[in-house]
Amino acid sequence: MPRPRLVAALAATVTIALLPACAPSAPGAAGGGKQVTDPTLTIATTTDVVNYNPLIGNSRSDYWITNLMYPHLLSIGPDGEKAPELARKWGYVDDTTGYYEIQPGMKWSDGQPLTAKDVAFTLNAVKRDAPAGTFYGQLTNFASATAVSDTRVEVTLTQPDSSLIPEIGFWGNVVPQHVFEPAGSVAKFANDGTTAGTTAEWVSAGPYVLKTVQRGQSYTLERVADYPLVEGGKPKAAEIVYRVFPDVNTEILALKNGDVDVIANTLPPAQVKGLRGTAGITVEEVPGLGYSHMTYNMNQPDLAKLQVRQALAQTVDYDAVRRVVLQGQAVSTGSSPLMPVLKDFYDKTSKEYSYDPEAARELLTEAGYQADGSGSFPLSFRLIYSLQDPVTTQWATLVKDGAAKAGVAIELQGLERNTYLAKTDAGDFDIYAGNFAIMDDPATNMALTYLPDGAINYSYVDDPELTSLIQRARVTFEREDQVPILREAAKKVRDEVYDNVMYTQNLYVAHRSEWSGFTVKPSELLSIVNPISLASATKAE
Amino acid sequence: MSLFLFVLRRFGRGLLTIWFAVTVTFLMLRLLPGDPALAIASPNMTPEIRAGLLTQYGLDEPLPVQYVKYLGQLLRGNLGVSFSQGVDVTDALMAQLPWTLLLVGAALVVTVILGIPLGVLAAAKAGGVLDRVVQIVAVTGQSLFVPSVGILLLYVFGLQLGWFPIGGAYTDGTYGGEWYLSVVAHLVLPCLSLVLVQLGAYVLTVRSTLIEALGEDYVTLARANGLPHRRVLWKHALRNALLPTTTLIGLQICLYLVGGVILIETVYAYPGIGRGIYDAVVRLDFPVLQGAFLLLAVVVVVVNMITDIVYGLLDPRVKAS
Repeated sequence: MPRPRLVAALAATVTIALLPACAPSAPGAAGGGKQVTDPTLTIATTTDVVNYNPLIGNSRSDYWITNLMYPHLLSIGPDGEKAPELARKWGYVDDTTGYYEIQPGMKWSDGQPLTAKDVAFTLNAVKRDAPAGTFYGQLTNFASATAVSDTRVEVTLTQPDSSLIPEIGFWGNVVPQHVFEPAGSVAKFANDGTTAGTTAEWVSAGPYVLKTVQRGQSYTLERVADYPLVEGGKPKAAEIVYRVFPDVNTEILALKNGDVDVIANTLPPAQVKGLRGTAGITVEEVPGLGYSHMTYNMNQPDLAKLQVRQALAQTVDYDAVRRVVLQGQAVSTGSSPLMPVLKDFYDKTSKEYSYDPEAARELLTEAGYQADGSGSFPLSFRLIYSLQDPVTTQWATLVKDGAAKAGVAIELQGLERNTYLAKTDAGDFDIYAGNFAIMDDPATNMALTYLPDGAINYSYVDDPELTSLIQRARVTFEREDQVPILREAAKKVRDEVYDNVMYTQNLYVAHRSEWSGFTVKPSELLSIVNPISLASATKAE
Repeated sequence: MSLFLFVLRRFGRGLLTIWFAVTVTFLMLRLLPGDPALAIASPNMTPEIRAGLLTQYGLDEPLPVQYVKYLGQLLRGNLGVSFSQGVDVTDALMAQLPWTLLLVGAALVVTVILGIPLGVLAAAKAGGVLDRVVQIVAVTGQSLFVPSVGILLLYVFGLQLGWFPIGGAYTDGTYGGEWYLSVVAHLVLPCLSLVLVQLGAYVLTVRSTLIEALGEDYVTLARANGLPHRRVLWKHALRNALLPTTTLIGLQICLYLVGGVILIETVYAYPGIGRGIYDAVVRLDFPVLQGAFLLLAVVVVVVNMITDIVYGLLDPRVKAS
């Protein structure tokens, strides 16, 4: 830990030290093909860890670091499909009973075995204590979990839900029962490495375990020698150090200088091209799992009219947004809420709304609106977006300009993040512009987004036909039966303009070229900093 | 008035100022839009979870009740628990404050040591080429945008020349003397950034007040008495010219401690209180923000008090009044 008293003494008696002091020298450039033995992998992130309890934490740094210690049952493959991690097999026994078969022989770093009991404990404790993270939100139809053997957990559902098993497997971390249970409520357990007056270490079943925290500066994790989920059974890097750089420009300088080996957060679009051309730096493309969109608040009488929503959808130059703002680093979804990376679900026939201000004018006239002498319709909408999202901030201006060409006034209201969240929550907007980062399961995501009581139904849509389709999809267990239902639902969303999906952004992360062996997975949460990837990465001499 | 009484009156006024700052901060945070429960939980949380979080942190109680409880806690030296981190606010701030004091203190010392002689030089050669150059550099420095200066220095001295490390307060894994050296190495560039933007104010202040002082009768008398020019300049005229500079030092400490370090610490990944404030603002972490602003209010009050005392010591006219 930093030594505040010594630092304070130094501050009081500081003398000028303008002599260039010893600066750490940059690591050597990649040499031959020989690998460095037991290297240290240094990763830059922009924020400190806020919560060490993976059941509560919800920031990127929390996720990346706790993921290295607390395994998920499931991961996701490059094709967007759920893939094994701790669980080798998963599925349903019947409509209201699911199961996971976990890897045998797993251990926590303190020597205790990781068994199905830890999995069952985690699921039951989260349901009971309702911690404030994302995991709890996945358990709506979860009743209980039982360890029927050392490697098998059976899950009882309150009602049929085809998404529950894959979703809680993907989103939930498994925690050690012998550490978390004595602490009482998992919702209140800080898991900060100390236990009731004693100093205890973190316990990990991942490839690394947290050892040292220098808040504001760095988080050091050491290798767990026995990690069966990586090839060879032993992570390659002996140590992983997460260093905190709040400014992405400083992160990039540190990467170029060799002070860090990987930047965990995705790069701003403007930086990608420059870094691609930088010697010694490799830029990896990470498929996006989310989308950027606008929703039209259907509680607003004008926006309740389909023709008005269709007209607005045709005032956006989607190609210009992707080309200019995102510098070609985004792809169209065909205005569909199904992501292209989810190949089984994605509907290639879905056509993006065309950019046609004249057609928009015609639609508005058909809807009964009369343009005045200057060509303006009596329509004015307030569009909210977060000022902390620089990409949306840029394309919001293009949206306003496009609408003006069709005679519609859009007032842009860029807001500080917390104000933006508050107004979103309260429905205090006409048009909402934002992003959903991870839409990995269409049935679950559509339920949240388009059901009348959906938590992120920002259109306030209440379409009985759409509701029926989504509810059917959620209780359809066979993929070949579920896909057409979800495609039909997505088509309805697109045709009724319940959601104007602008693009899905391909993400880019950068690392030093002397490192290789990373496994790219979709979304910023996993990208190249997922546990298997970091455990597999090697460094050339 | 005796020094003791003077200090006592200032102390009383200082307490009132601190109470005012605490109250305004308390009210302002609670009047802000946004839900602090969102800061520590998923936006998809259920109403029950949200209600539980608000109860846990006392945010569901009436405002006057929250205020009285908060004042009571403060009087017991308890700054509360961080919403987002779950740690004592005092611990969190005490870990960050020394880094900020080190940065601001180092920058202050360097700025004063450079600024005063440069101001004297400019005043001594007023109207000449050197004076003009110093003025241009000073004004340019004041116009610089701190984060841009920071990135530029990192790029040149960190990346291109490799003379200094990029970001952080020290090098991990160093101990003892090596640790101290790494602290100094990491301090140079952020300190230099602060110096570059502050220096101009000192140079211009010293220059203009010294030029004025050099036109005074006592200076003419000193010269007429045959005193060397250097002695007249540094011992007689400068002493009077330093009075406004003393006030400036106090103001600059407050300015950079309260606001300026946020940008510097963000660019340089320096783990000081500025970064803590930024993180707390994003997370609507009321206890940390309240604690940080209380701490800064105390520092501002103390610095102003010290400035007034030093001013009184330097200027017998103020002491007598």
